[in-house]
Amino acid sequence: MISPEMIGLIGMALLLVLLTIGVPIGMGLALVGLGGIAWMISPEAAVIKAGVTSFEIISKYELGVLPLFLLMAHLCFAAGASRDFFDVAAKFIGHRRGGLALASIMGCAGFGAISGSSLATVATIGSVALPEMKKAGYDDRLASGALAAGGTLGALIPPSGALIVYGIIAEQSIGKLFTAAVIPGLSQALFYLITILVVCAFRPGWGPATSRVAWRERMPALRKIIDIAALIVFVIGGLMVGWFTPTEAASVGVIGAMLLLAIRGGFTRVALSDALKETLRTTGMIYVVIIGAMLFATFISVTGITDALSGAVTQYNASPVVAIIVMTLVLLLLGSFLDGVALMLLTTPIFLPIATDLGYSAIWFGIFLVRTMELGFVHPPLGMNIYVVQGIDKSLSVGTIFRGVIPFLVSDFLHLALLIAFPAMALWLPAALGAS
Amino acid sequence: MSDMPKRESTLVRFATLLGSFGILAATLADGLGVAGRHTGIPFLGSIELVQAAVVLLAATSMFVVTVKGGHATVHMLTARLSAQRADLLRRLGALLSGLAFLLIAAGSAWVAAELWSGFEQTELLHIPLRWLRLVWVVFALLVAGAFLRAALRPQA
Repeated sequence: MISPEMIGLIGMALLLVLLTIGVPIGMGLALVGLGGIAWMISPEAAVIKAGVTSFEIISKYELGVLPLFLLMAHLCFAAGASRDFFDVAAKFIGHRRGGLALASIMGCAGFGAISGSSLATVATIGSVALPEMKKAGYDDRLASGALAAGGTLGALIPPSGALIVYGIIAEQSIGKLFTAAVIPGLSQALFYLITILVVCAFRPGWGPATSRVAWRERMPALRKIIDIAALIVFVIGGLMVGWFTPTEAASVGVIGAMLLLAIRGGFTRVALSDALKETLRTTGMIYVVIIGAMLFATFISVTGITDALSGAVTQYNASPVVAIIVMTLVLLLLGSFLDGVALMLLTTPIFLPIATDLGYSAIWFGIFLVRTMELGFVHPPLGMNIYVVQGIDKSLSVGTIFRGVIPFLVSDFLHLALLIAFPAMALWLPAALGAS
Repeated sequence: MSDMPKRESTLVRFATLLGSFGILAATLADGLGVAGRHTGIPFLGSIELVQAAVVLLAATSMFVVTVKGGHATVHMLTARLSAQRADLLRRLGALLSGLAFLLIAAGSAWVAAELWSGFEQTELLHIPLRWLRLVWVVFALLVAGAFLRAALRPQA
């Protein structure tokens, strides 16, 4: 007789096999979830659960926030907002040593507040910033490393697609998660800026100073981002202070982005249709993964494997911090071959109950999970951002980019350690603003 | 899947239109809801309208992404295999996915059939949920069909 916990472990192993052979992530999760429920309860229960869960997910009002924020991002992209943040930062600080790399990080943080995606951020800012840095004589390692690392800011800075998905799976307030992500997101950007300054202090030749841009050129550049910045502040700020629910904030964002596109003269049928098509594609992909993850989560909860793991932690009197560090190591290991969303959806049903049993807030855990997941975008062997940067400039070798990322990885680990040591980094702002 | 026959591409176009309508309807309903609340003219039922619109966009978007082959997958192994073996695994993945979606469609149809005569409605606007359930069953079957079709075809 196989114990339920053993069935859970077999399910997880089978899932890894299915994902490795290329079964779509959502479908792998669904197959294992349905198979597991059929084994442990009954085939009828599995089929009915599939029907109930799938309709619950697709009719969830709160999940409407995802396609709407995606559409807002695509409309802002069509309005040409992508390069503006980098342009402004480059004009203001580009003349300093390492200034263009600093501007890349600021551009990534700014664009991350629109896109909500790590890959989109690195692809967009990279295509603008990388040629500029190469032209200015920047070392390939600093230029590519700053971009690959900076791109990860898109996954944490609100509105974050990963946090929306986590909020749905963990049944947590998306508004609270967005508010909780503000300080970790901004401090992560600050850590990257400090890293660049330190690298340039030791290797001045890696980020040479360039000529200063006159104020008469800086001000027009600044004016170009005022509308987009105002839209972001209005949407995210309105959400944080309770003017809108997350879904309403996203709707207001879409309407604002349409107005912005119209004012900038780009509101055409083709632009709108392209933005809608892109939104539908990404939305469909994420919905399939969420349905699969919910079925998988049901299976995992039936096996009782999370209770067994959390019981083991209690039995060995392990401190909560040690348990979180072990989770970090497992997440980093899994992040070596699973992409971010898959990693999050696979591990949330297992780790979240353990973390809450240990006294951690589910909101903090969401921030921790996304922050850890981000590392997978830049560490070998998967490191998707590395390949995106390499796709922008084929003359860069993957090894060069990985070497360039190392100082930023060190800064990431320090930042993650701070987040674990001081959960208030994530929890203070939602409490102070009374975010709901 | 660029060699799709005309009939299927019409279906994809229809799904794209329906999904786009869903996104824009959700935007409008929630936008009016916010404006109404802040101007003192509440737009009751906006959440129910968004829910209905979200069903349309979610159901159609899953079909669109399946036809376009845009699902998230792990490429670590398949990228290192010969084209022939990678295609074999792709087809196996599509077959398993098609079967999983058939189960989802069957479960959804089962639940919809059980609730059909119950005339489920939303509270304020009385939007009939059974038609939305039916839309989902149809699109879940279409997704399963698209996966199975991909499983039967070697990559060009």
